Amino acid sequence: MSGDAGDALLSVRNLRVAFGSPQHPLLAVDGVDFDVAPGEVLGIAGESGSGKSVTLRSILRLIHPPGRVSGRVLWRGRDLLTLPEEELRRVRGGEIGVIFQEPMTALNPVLTVGLQIRENLKEHTGLDAAGRRKRAIELMDHVGIPAAQSRLEDYPHQFSGGMRQRAMIAIALASNPQLLLADEPTTALDVTIQDQILKLILRLRSEMNMSVILVTHDLGVIAQTCDRLAVMYAGRLAETGPVAALFRQPRHAYTLGLLNSVPRAGQIRQPLASIPGQPPLLSKLPEGCAFAPRCPFVLSACREAPPPLVEVAPDHRSACLAHQALAKA
Amino acid sequence: MSLTLTSGIAAAFGNGRRRHMPLLVGSAIMALFLLFSLIPGIFAPYDPLAFDYMHLSEAPTLAHPFGTDNFGRDMLSRVIWASRVDIQIAIFCTIFPLAFGTIVGALTGFYGGWLDAVFGRLVDLVVTFPFLVIVIAIVAVLGPGLFNMYIAVSSVGWVFYAQLMRAGVQVQKQSDYAAAARVLGYGEARIIFRHLLPNAITPIIVYWMTDMALAILLGSSLGYLGLGAQPPTAEWGVIIADGKNFMSTAWWISVFPGIAIIFAGVGFSLVGDGIADIFRRRN
Amino acid sequence: MDAAAPLIDVTDLAMSFHRPRSVLDRLTGRPGRIVHALNGVSFTVMRGETLGVVGESGCGKSTLARCLVRLHQPEAGHIAYGGIDVLRLTGAERRAYHRRVQMVFQDPYSSLNPRMTVRQTLAEAIAFHDLRAGAEIGRRVEELLDLVRLPSDAAGRYPHEFSGGQRQRIGIARALAVEPECLIADELVSALDVSVQAQIVNLLLELQGRLGLTILFIAHDLRLVRHISHRVAVMYLGAIVELAETETLFTRPAHPYTAALLKAAPEMDPGRRSVIDAVRGELPSPLAIPAGCPFHPRCPYVMARCRAERPVLADREPGHIAACHLEPGHKL
Repeated sequence: MSGDAGDALLSVRNLRVAFGSPQHPLLAVDGVDFDVAPGEVLGIAGESGSGKSVTLRSILRLIHPPGRVSGRVLWRGRDLLTLPEEELRRVRGGEIGVIFQEPMTALNPVLTVGLQIRENLKEHTGLDAAGRRKRAIELMDHVGIPAAQSRLEDYPHQFSGGMRQRAMIAIALASNPQLLLADEPTTALDVTIQDQILKLILRLRSEMNMSVILVTHDLGVIAQTCDRLAVMYAGRLAETGPVAALFRQPRHAYTLGLLNSVPRAGQIRQPLASIPGQPPLLSKLPEGCAFAPRCPFVLSACREAPPPLVEVAPDHRSACLAHQALAKA
Repeated sequence: MSLTLTSGIAAAFGNGRRRHMPLLVGSAIMALFLLFSLIPGIFAPYDPLAFDYMHLSEAPTLAHPFGTDNFGRDMLSRVIWASRVDIQIAIFCTIFPLAFGTIVGALTGFYGGWLDAVFGRLVDLVVTFPFLVIVIAIVAVLGPGLFNMYIAVSSVGWVFYAQLMRAGVQVQKQSDYAAAARVLGYGEARIIFRHLLPNAITPIIVYWMTDMALAILLGSSLGYLGLGAQPPTAEWGVIIADGKNFMSTAWWISVFPGIAIIFAGVGFSLVGDGIADIFRRRN
Repeated sequence: MDAAAPLIDVTDLAMSFHRPRSVLDRLTGRPGRIVHALNGVSFTVMRGETLGVVGESGCGKSTLARCLVRLHQPEAGHIAYGGIDVLRLTGAERRAYHRRVQMVFQDPYSSLNPRMTVRQTLAEAIAFHDLRAGAEIGRRVEELLDLVRLPSDAAGRYPHEFSGGQRQRIGIARALAVEPECLIADELVSALDVSVQAQIVNLLLELQGRLGLTILFIAHDLRLVRHISHRVAVMYLGAIVELAETETLFTRPAHPYTAALLKAAPEMDPGRRSVIDAVRGELPSPLAIPAGCPFHPRCPYVMARCRAERPVLADREPGHIAACHLEPGHKL
């Protein structure tokens, strides 16, 4: 997954996010590496406590103290983690856009949607007032908000859930970003609306040659939208690689367990192959692999030290000592 | 209080990271005054009523740390013995409003409807007038004295507890565990008092602490005005009133009971704040 | 009792919520707004079966669940349970009904009383319905914990000490404490992680086998519903639009909305992707239900008749009903 950092748009290296006291740190993210190529949709999947959202937010330095972020986030050659505030502001919302899970809390409820789009345009483009207004209408139209002109002066609460999410996308796109960070953008939406929003994001990706990092817990969403996938567990990367490969032949016991937890057609009323137990508390991580206590393929070596992320196939990496056994399964 | 709160409070007293100094200090102060009110004889060096013509209006000395008044009575002993009355005021001015207000608030919050409408108008009425004014008015009608003061304060003070409980119950009523209780077939009384009330009680406890501090202030204010405790009962406000004519010559007569009032008030407030803090932290 | 008679028989259930009128409404003489949550819902559930109910926001599935356990009193319609008219029950008879039909809730974080230990919660239910007495209660509590696969030391602990999945188990134990015949699971696993969902679903299947429960499984996750249900009902804006045996519904849907739902649900196969939206338009609000067929503004097969006339649920084939004006056999 991390090839030559030179051709990637975004390169994350050894990202670490710690909470709690320096003597007893809780590592919400522990040594995460990945790249995003231009025009690629990377999915980050995991359950609660996996660190996927924290990873996303730390890219744009949205993690506040007491969280401590270390590592490197290389965006077009510059390390975002050490960039001066002023330059970071130009990147945030400008070159890199963000959309969140809850549009109602992510949008400013006392400002009209039109104003919020125009604000972004003002900050990141050189358009004059008339130009901004025109562009705002274009954007709202583009994301599928009907009667865009008349809705410019509406407030977020006057939009339905799906429309609010579209509005958030319009704001994020105003500056023509090259990368869109999406933190569970459709989790709070109904299935038919989720379908519309995901397809919209994919369309925009093609039209604007934009990359997307999509954080979600829904493997179906990953299957339908992402090119590559990074699976996280307890703050570490479990497996990364092309989506088709991971779904066809997972090479980490956790990925396998996760895929098996989802019911497939034709198995009516049979017990699902569930993973026993629950994810560990970050304060009580085991010595070795974090997944070892729940793993049906566990080896004694797994409990000694966290397995390193190794390449198991071209562009496909896994941090699982049993990856060979899984390949044969 | 929920387990989270009790264990939080226990931790606050411990030596660990979660020690809460203000709560510790406040509790120490409260405990001190409680002891004074229960066993004043142990702490007071002299009989508070004993006149000592050899030491009239003496400034504070080692023998009389708070000085003596114009009758030679030891001020320290008087202030300590007065704790009994003022703590009693703190309790009796608040316990009835707490009980009655909690019940009315719980019922109003649960049932709403006309009960809530009537309650709302009552609240409007009470809130319109300054609390002290109403209390003085009632005492003026009933006559001065501690017992009438309790009646006056209680008849108005319950409203604030009721408001808090009403809000709390309305919130708890929306929760799924309340729905589950209904689906299990439990009767309304059980749901209100065994399920909703205990989950809404914490703000009431916090308010009670600060209310006790206010009650002491109120009691001593009325005592000072001659409408509360009546002489010769030693009550901090009454003692202050006794000394008001000697402010320039024997300032210690009025000042030390005043300090006692502040101290006690601060103690209760710190405890209230501490509990609120822990509750907030846990949530 | 006739073995072929349904356990639950719901007829024409209707329920609305009246929103309080704002000051502006009163001044302008506008009538208060009404949320039509249920608009004539009819279906049956046989003893021992699992009926899945799916639908999106505003479809009324939660309101339906709450009417069945008498949390809401519907404005019209009938609910018969074991032949008894449920909506008229009061007092002891009503309590007896609550023993027979129980509910498990969606949110593991608010469905348990935070101030009661697990033992207190379970014991209260057992004692209230006089199911056991004295020392027997403690034993029964342990049995229940065992049934839901929780360790026996869980009894003395408070809800906040458990994870989401464990809390749902406690919720199930509470429901089972009164020895019900029927369990209504309102989005039981929606708030849980995927791997935990699988555990709870397995538990539910096992309990149904052991205890012979009838289950109403309400969810928005189609895959789960397909996995666990014998029959599935699809709801839209307060009405059932299709009801059929699971596989029939999923492979040969008769209603365009069902077809759209199936297309919209993201498939687990990365090789099969579509760029076309499964269905156009927004979800209408139950405050303003479209005239005629409620789905007509979004339906790709809409005809003039659909805008004017509301379709009724009719047989497509035995055991398969749908409310649509399209001729049966029309491939969706």
